[in-house]
Amino acid sequence: MADPGQRPRFTPVAPDVAAGGALTRRNFLRASAAVAAGVAGVAAILPVLRELKDFTTAQQFLQKHYKELTPEEMERVLERIAREVERQYGVRPHVRDLKPLDGVEFVYALNLTRCVGCRRCVHACVAENNQSRTPELQYIRVLKMPNGTFDLERSDPNYAPASVPEEGFFYMPVQCHQCKNPPCVKVCPVKATWKEDDGIVVIDYDWCIGCRYCEAACPYWARRFNFATPSIPKERINPDMAYLGNRPRPRGVMEKCHFCIQRTRVGRYPACLEVCPTGSRKFGNALDPRSEVGYILRNKRVFVLKEEVGTLPRFFYYFDI
Amino acid sequence: MTADTKTALALAGLALAFVALRSAFLEQLWGRPAALAPVPLADPAFTNTAPVRTTLADLLAKGADTSDYDCYTCHEAGKAITLRFDTNNAVILPKEHADLRIRHGRNDRNDNCYNCHDPAKLDQLLRRDGGKLKLQDSTPLCAGCHGPTYRDWEIGIHGRVSGYWDRRAGQASRLACVSCHDPHAPFFAPLKPAPGPHLLHPPLLAAGPHPAND
Repeated sequence: MADPGQRPRFTPVAPDVAAGGALTRRNFLRASAAVAAGVAGVAAILPVLRELKDFTTAQQFLQKHYKELTPEEMERVLERIAREVERQYGVRPHVRDLKPLDGVEFVYALNLTRCVGCRRCVHACVAENNQSRTPELQYIRVLKMPNGTFDLERSDPNYAPASVPEEGFFYMPVQCHQCKNPPCVKVCPVKATWKEDDGIVVIDYDWCIGCRYCEAACPYWARRFNFATPSIPKERINPDMAYLGNRPRPRGVMEKCHFCIQRTRVGRYPACLEVCPTGSRKFGNALDPRSEVGYILRNKRVFVLKEEVGTLPRFFYYFDI
Repeated sequence: MTADTKTALALAGLALAFVALRSAFLEQLWGRPAALAPVPLADPAFTNTAPVRTTLADLLAKGADTSDYDCYTCHEAGKAITLRFDTNNAVILPKEHADLRIRHGRNDRNDNCYNCHDPAKLDQLLRRDGGKLKLQDSTPLCAGCHGPTYRDWEIGIHGRVSGYWDRRAGQASRLACVSCHDPHAPFFAPLKPAPGPHLLHPPLLAAGPHPAND
């Protein structure tokens, strides 16, 4: 007979608490579900990380704006770029950070009587500045215009005759004019593009977020966007590079003519001028009265494109004889 | 099934669905973007900075064959050659020099060979003031008639100036007149243009993006 004061022989145990944390079916299922979720999460992240390896490195992601970099940090940045270019193209480049020269303001003058529309400037620029070949990026666009008008609506950038120049037309190459009052600089939300002291409007490719506001703001369509990863043939890489200039750009950033900053800031003419067969391109320091461009600005009837929008370009066109 | 179990099952199910979608996205199981058609690389001729003509001075500098410029392989030294003109007073070129096109001056009227060449010594040029020039140093001869162009060339705004804009950093060099202009037909010869731009999204209009507003 059971004793009324005696305790029952078995004690009801709370369902989710086992004495001393012993392994129960519930605990096991819980733990393995958590482990499986963790493994699945890592498995999901790994392929993304693998793909992102070429997109950005930690060092590039954490890099400061160009204007905030100390010289030591800039050295490390240039070293990183040289390493990446060597890994990708097999060529060890010479990457420099060139500062503006004192007492220099660059100006470009183009003689429209001489330009024949051969487009060699376009391709010399592509070769010098490591631009993507597929998809094709070209900083310079040559517009074929009928004689007697400056209505750009009647221009044709896609002309392809057997020989140039064609009767009744003139040819006007257009590239970034490095405006003194640049709309692209005003609209950049992150200040990835700015005007330097020698007049060149530069882009920090590692700071640009690729929103393309600058492309919309430019009245001359001078700015180009990398819609796809740029592809440059290894044998055509130009290893003479500058940080703000012709180092290979990643996908998703803007780029544009920078007056061959890697050449002009060491005193050389830009690539488009060096290849022009008719000598219609003239470049130099506007503050030097003895330069060719100084003579042109004083003695030729120069004009700029779209003067009415007030961008104050540094690129002057003129007719001669 | 308790609420906790249902929650755990729902979360596990969502996690699995997420992983499946992520893999499908990464492996591009559908919606694969079209591969870009490779754009043909530019012909190296379009990035060559050499001037359009090779001159006698270039050949001499390279040590190349200049026998084309040796007049006395055919002509007798000291024997004057009389030029013949037709009824329109245009020069008649002998068949040995028929490859020349004389298109110099308005209406091609500058076709008297001795306007530039020295009749006494054929491998020499004769200036208007009587000065003699070697065949490879012809620039002062052109300057004798084309003064304004020569002035512009001296300043550096006629013809290409290559090298360094900053003369303190390096040298700049000009080209001779004949590096671009054939002295017998000086009008700059037409060139073959490089191909036009290959756009990422080609225009849809057959007539091109900017049909004329005529």
